[in-house]
Amino acid sequence: MMQIKHNQLVKLGFIKLAIIALFAPFMIAACSDSSSSNQINNKIDYTKNYPPSNGGTLIDAMTGEPSSLIAMIAGESAASAIAGNIFNSLLKYDKNLELTGELVESWDVSSDQKTITFHLKTNLKWADNQPLTSDDVLFTWQKVTDEKTRTPYGSDFKLVTKAETPDANTFRVTYAAPYAPALDTWAGLHILPKHLLKDQDINTTAFARNPVGSHYYKLEKWKNGQFLKLTRNENATQGQAKIDNLLSRIIPDKAAQFLELSADNIDSMGLNPIQYARIFPARPDLNKNIALYKELGNSYTYLGFNLKRKPFDDIRVRQAINYAINKQEIIDGVLLGLGEPVASPYKPGTRWSNPDLKPYPYDPNKARALLKAAGYEDHDGDGILDKDGKPFTFEILTNQNKEREMTGVLIQRRLNEIGIKANIRVLEWASFLGRFIKPKEFDVVVLGWSLSLDPDQYSIWHSSQQAPGQFNFISYSNPRVDKLLEAGRLELNPDKRMKIYHEFSKILLEDSPIVFLSAGYGLTAIHKRVRGISNPAPPAGIGHNTYEWYIPSAYARNEMSEH
Amino acid sequence: MLKYLVKRIFWMVPLLIGISLISFFIMHLAPGDITTSEASFNPKASEESRQKLRELYSLDKPVIVQYSLWVKRMATLDFGTSFASHQRPVFWQTKDKDGNVTLGMIQEALPITLLINVLSLILIISVALPLGVVSALNQNQLTDRSITLFVFIGFAIPGFWLALMLMYWTGVQHTWLPISGLQSIGHENMSWIAQTTDTLKHLVLPVFISGITGLAGISLFVRNGMLEVLHQDYITTARSKGLSENRVIYGHALRNALLPLITIFGLSIPGLIGGSVIAESIFAIPGMGKLFYDAVLMRDFPVIMGILTIGAVLTLIGNLLADVAYAWADPRVRRGVVQ
Repeated sequence: MMQIKHNQLVKLGFIKLAIIALFAPFMIAACSDSSSSNQINNKIDYTKNYPPSNGGTLIDAMTGEPSSLIAMIAGESAASAIAGNIFNSLLKYDKNLELTGELVESWDVSSDQKTITFHLKTNLKWADNQPLTSDDVLFTWQKVTDEKTRTPYGSDFKLVTKAETPDANTFRVTYAAPYAPALDTWAGLHILPKHLLKDQDINTTAFARNPVGSHYYKLEKWKNGQFLKLTRNENATQGQAKIDNLLSRIIPDKAAQFLELSADNIDSMGLNPIQYARIFPARPDLNKNIALYKELGNSYTYLGFNLKRKPFDDIRVRQAINYAINKQEIIDGVLLGLGEPVASPYKPGTRWSNPDLKPYPYDPNKARALLKAAGYEDHDGDGILDKDGKPFTFEILTNQNKEREMTGVLIQRRLNEIGIKANIRVLEWASFLGRFIKPKEFDVVVLGWSLSLDPDQYSIWHSSQQAPGQFNFISYSNPRVDKLLEAGRLELNPDKRMKIYHEFSKILLEDSPIVFLSAGYGLTAIHKRVRGISNPAPPAGIGHNTYEWYIPSAYARNEMSEH
Repeated sequence: MLKYLVKRIFWMVPLLIGISLISFFIMHLAPGDITTSEASFNPKASEESRQKLRELYSLDKPVIVQYSLWVKRMATLDFGTSFASHQRPVFWQTKDKDGNVTLGMIQEALPITLLINVLSLILIISVALPLGVVSALNQNQLTDRSITLFVFIGFAIPGFWLALMLMYWTGVQHTWLPISGLQSIGHENMSWIAQTTDTLKHLVLPVFISGITGLAGISLFVRNGMLEVLHQDYITTARSKGLSENRVIYGHALRNALLPLITIFGLSIPGLIGGSVIAESIFAIPGMGKLFYDAVLMRDFPVIMGILTIGAVLTLIGNLLADVAYAWADPRVRRGVVQ
């Protein structure tokens, strides 16, 4: 009865884009001779300069709807994006991705590094005018660690052995052992109002859809499946934002979003590489009104070996494959050049990323030599390397993700050139995870990890994290790395920590348990009526100062005639 | 007749249980659950907390136990709450102790889908009927051929492509129609006339798209039904009696040709609540298709089961209605039933 067309739907996006691209010239022609009312909009000159002013509405589009605005329970990115405008955390990342205070003025770490004392700013208020105190922070901690709370993010906070509030502006947490990622976890926890939630079941409360926060905006209206409208919070703890309203429309389809952007019905949307690199350059009429921004994204794609399987336990084989893969080709082919190679799991340009590390260059001869040293040669002359009579062939596994599939194809071709036969298998996420990753029934995977802001990656690389369902599913085990990861968790001094993780990245690159492939850019289109956006984007991305963005009143939309 | 009805309704119960049992097990055959979505593959979420979630949702219990829990809830007509959408009620709204009303997911999605499907059904009938009759009357002539060609093009054209082209033409090049969504942003501040016009404007393209793809089936059905009837003896009799051609065609032929359509409409009742995923995604319409699709992707079991159950009930009711209507419309069937 329902028309479920799973595969088709996944593929549709690309087909649609291809079709739009195909028709782009026709559309331009059609545009230039149509006397549509959009021409009126086109006549506005968006190049004039205006000083910052208050007011206006910024309309953007998102593909998914938040399930709730309590981020610790919702978990999905749509929820964090909206809730991030409503709630504050104790700490935040500044534009260079360094930790700084948000609700706190300052914080101290005790000399044994086990106790962190947060000093809250004074006179903090919730949007409903109630005071925001350390009691609220304590309450939030109690909720996130509560067994009954349906959050997957509790474990970091359960390490706190004692949480106390010596006074209304001080919040102190004590850990059993120093825990360096603690500060990052406090930067990710939205503080919730105790006075509204204390008698509520946080799993079912209506507060989740009608929240009261302390950040720049408060929720004015949420129309299920259609839009969320935020309006300026007069009591905001971080000062006043310039734009009055943020309106997020839910438009699941990227092509439809793009049409809405072209018709000037939305101001901002995330683009994919085809829209950014192919469609926009071909549409001068769009470029007149819309500015494009790119920033380094938050994740990287990698090829990971199952280190429990032969021959991937041999470092020479892993390095050979690393040399055999042309990373620039993947960036150019899959991301249309809109990405960067990475050599460590950290964002290039931040302190955790080791600037001395360079990705393995594309060098097929070196790859062949390494494979020969590992005993692989083409003895029977069939074009495929073999050892002990067995040809070198394996399966590249990935989930239904067009970019990963294309990456797999490019890798397959390069491996074929040095005599390795690779087959590609693409699976739906749940079976990919349940049947192959959890029981470790795979040779090689193409997947992504996030470029984490906190350098701690214990759960991904430590040898103790290999049980089914844990994240070291490639079974990486290196005693030196284990030691560094343990040391990194105990060291709260950023400079000492940096040295530890630079060393860790170096070993990781050498060991080559995964091949770092690429980190794509986040691509955003924003209408030129929106001003105050930093370009080029700092490491934290263009979104770091949204409260400073403004819409000059000469450019503001007529609120009633909006679609 | 009454006995027949009671018997039919009585038989729906075991049928429903069977359907729900099969759906429940098939749903659990697919790998994964709410804790294994791609978004939850996050090093910050530990395996222990995911296990805890599984226990909270009873997902760690054997499937048969989960099914009995579900049946127990369904016995009181409780469709449960969604896993993925912050415990929103699946079917109908609930009120908490502070008087906050949370709307049900199906409650919100169903009217939207129903409206679009009913409108497009009306569109289909009002266009397909005359097309089918005209085709039959001009059998194998140019008119017939071009009508058949036209409806087949509508049937074969990829809906998403046509949708995007029309959205571009009517929404970007000209601002005749809104591009996506159900309402304009300032909808609340409009007068009710403006609100209705606004909603209707948003519905034009979705209804048109789902209408044009459904045109072929009905119009060909009418055409072939008409052709069959026109060759019956009683039509010849009617003509030889000297009845006017209009009387013959609309009074005698069409009425008989339409009989099989009743079955089709009966069967399309469950289809009325099923939205098209692709159309709803493109037009950003929060309807049943999108709801079901997202629930399947997230393995949101209560929502999947809720929609399947309502679909099953409606299918059975649709069948029943079709049979009853058939009996009402056709004396031959009626007599066969009564005796």
